[in-house]
Amino acid sequence: MSNNTTNINQEKKLFDQEVIKEIKAQKERWQENTVKGKVGEGDYYSDSGIPIDLLYTPEDIKDIDYLKDIGFSGQAPYVRGVYPNMYRGRLFTVRQIAGYGTPEDTNERFKFLLKNGATGTSVVLDLPTIRGYDSDDPEGEGHVGAAGVAIDSIEDIEALYDGIPIDEISSNIVTHLPSTTVVIMAMFAAMAEKKGIPLEKLSGTNQNDFLMETAIGSSLEVLPPKASFRLQCDAIEYASQNLPRWNPVSYNGYNLREAGTTAVQEVACAIANAIATSEELIRRGNNIDDFAKRLSFFWNLFNDFFEEIAKCRASRLVWHEVMKDRFNAQHPKSHLMRFHVQTAGITLTKVEPLNNIARSAIQGLAAVLGGAQSLHVDSYDEAYSAPTEESALISIRTQQIIQTETNVVNTVDPLAGSYFVEHLTREMAQRIRDYIAEIESKGGIVSVVESGWLHREISDFAYEMQKNIENGEHKIVGLNYFPSEQSETKVEVFRYPESAERRQKEKLQKLRAKRDQAKVEAAINVLREKCHEDVNLMPYIKEAVLAYATLGEIEEVFREEFGLWQFPLA
Amino acid sequence: MQIKVVMSKLGLDIHWRGALVVSRMLRDEGMEVVYLGNQFPEQIVDAAIQEGADVIGLSTLGGNHLTLGPKVVQIAREKGVDALIIMGGVIPEDDIPALKEAGIAEVFGPETRIESIADFIRSHVKNTIA
Repeated sequence: MSNNTTNINQEKKLFDQEVIKEIKAQKERWQENTVKGKVGEGDYYSDSGIPIDLLYTPEDIKDIDYLKDIGFSGQAPYVRGVYPNMYRGRLFTVRQIAGYGTPEDTNERFKFLLKNGATGTSVVLDLPTIRGYDSDDPEGEGHVGAAGVAIDSIEDIEALYDGIPIDEISSNIVTHLPSTTVVIMAMFAAMAEKKGIPLEKLSGTNQNDFLMETAIGSSLEVLPPKASFRLQCDAIEYASQNLPRWNPVSYNGYNLREAGTTAVQEVACAIANAIATSEELIRRGNNIDDFAKRLSFFWNLFNDFFEEIAKCRASRLVWHEVMKDRFNAQHPKSHLMRFHVQTAGITLTKVEPLNNIARSAIQGLAAVLGGAQSLHVDSYDEAYSAPTEESALISIRTQQIIQTETNVVNTVDPLAGSYFVEHLTREMAQRIRDYIAEIESKGGIVSVVESGWLHREISDFAYEMQKNIENGEHKIVGLNYFPSEQSETKVEVFRYPESAERRQKEKLQKLRAKRDQAKVEAAINVLREKCHEDVNLMPYIKEAVLAYATLGEIEEVFREEFGLWQFPLA
Repeated sequence: MQIKVVMSKLGLDIHWRGALVVSRMLRDEGMEVVYLGNQFPEQIVDAAIQEGADVIGLSTLGGNHLTLGPKVVQIAREKGVDALIIMGGVIPEDDIPALKEAGIAEVFGPETRIESIADFIRSHVKNTIA
């Protein structure tokens, strides 16, 4: 029996063992006689620390069983892509983030982007909204309508999507935190119902990652990790039962990476969070296949071109393993890791900012070669301000050039079979599995946040990286490598509409004056009680937003009922 | 005497990477740094008083530099705090004159070498050697 298995396995290897032996021998001779030790100075590593050889051969992937380990697109183990025909079936969605000022201001930008070829909307919220404060709250001073759009009530969501066909194009909402997500998702669903659009027709994504609340971004008032994680799960569970085409979570590797992690840590933390979510929803009585097919991910692609492509491929493989082996998911869609990519904001320089167009294009190309489902290409002026209309247009054009002029979308996973890329994919997958195991050995993703371990990992990486930039070990063109001789670059900066705060406050005052206060209080009180029960809070939040309770009022309930947590940084 | 810095994220701005890395590297430069996390101007000044800080470091990328930055200076001076007040983050060049006018001693953008922040602090903090 065991002999048989071995024979079958051997037959399925890509290369004949004798050929591998010969290649190995020839490579040794080549190294000795041709390369003669001239392999470059020092050691070569990928950005996440994988040693890189001078040259790869079939020997480096001799253990691969093609059908089992790589396979076909749209089939297990999904290394080559989640859909059979990939970009021939549907091009990646050109998604550019917009969001500033009042909902009315952002609505105009939406319409501009859609007119110019964007195929979905993507909105970023201002900090008071993300952190659960109304526009007239003193905590929000100086932030209203800056770096994102202000949302206070369901009226604002209605204004934001006025004239946008939300039943036809997908809506991405960068809600960041679960506490924001539950409110905004409730508003979005309630708005659709008021418009007569069935919830089944709504497609889109919101972020909803408790790591954003408790590890990646700090703030004045932070909910405890367990509470934030509960709200994350509430949103996912509610959507799985009511919004079948909605992705209620986009596990945010992106911002972990911006804060300070390797590509391996980025993917591992996101998957560890998805594992914890799945365990919790199963505890609540859901079946894995009820919700797993709508879990989505969000990656950050830096400049290490091949490592990033390998990461995308490896992440699909590891997710498939988790779903199949650990959760025994049956529905094929539960095994698909679908992800959005944004190019790496932190790799963009302030010096010679136009160079950023090249960086972002290279990162965007890696995303497409990695099989991303949607893409946001950062604009060259990000180290100065939020993108101007002009720079946002260059980002869209960059995506369109990749889509139509390079022909890279014509065949599936074109780098498959590269000895290097396949080797790197396996290495990345193993390191991702190892880091997930490390997180789980410390009690899982919620525990490593509670203990501050994850914060230390991020902080240590950021600190070491800064040292490496300052000592020149990590080279950045124009900064510490061929330092720029341009004294000052004049970049037109985007200015947030100054009147936004005033306009938003006025609307809010009017709303508070005209709504039925008793109805608001009743809904808020029910929500308050339910916070202490083992129930999903979404239906109660939806009742509150329909009564015109504001986002800040609802989140104040969370702060009061769940308490606040001391962010473990020093 | 060791230079003492209180470092704070300004208001709601969530991006802690820069503030924390600068804090750690100023410690490497021999300074004592108290990282306050996110705070509003009033609390930042109170912390500076409590800690007897020589320097107040403010970090923001959220676009609140013009509204909250000058407020820190104003409250500090009202309360008799003469600490050096500096700022870092993504801040448009055009806004820097207004910040300096308001009493922010220096504004450090992305790509600043941390040792140049340390040098600036050492040469501007009165009667202290670190």
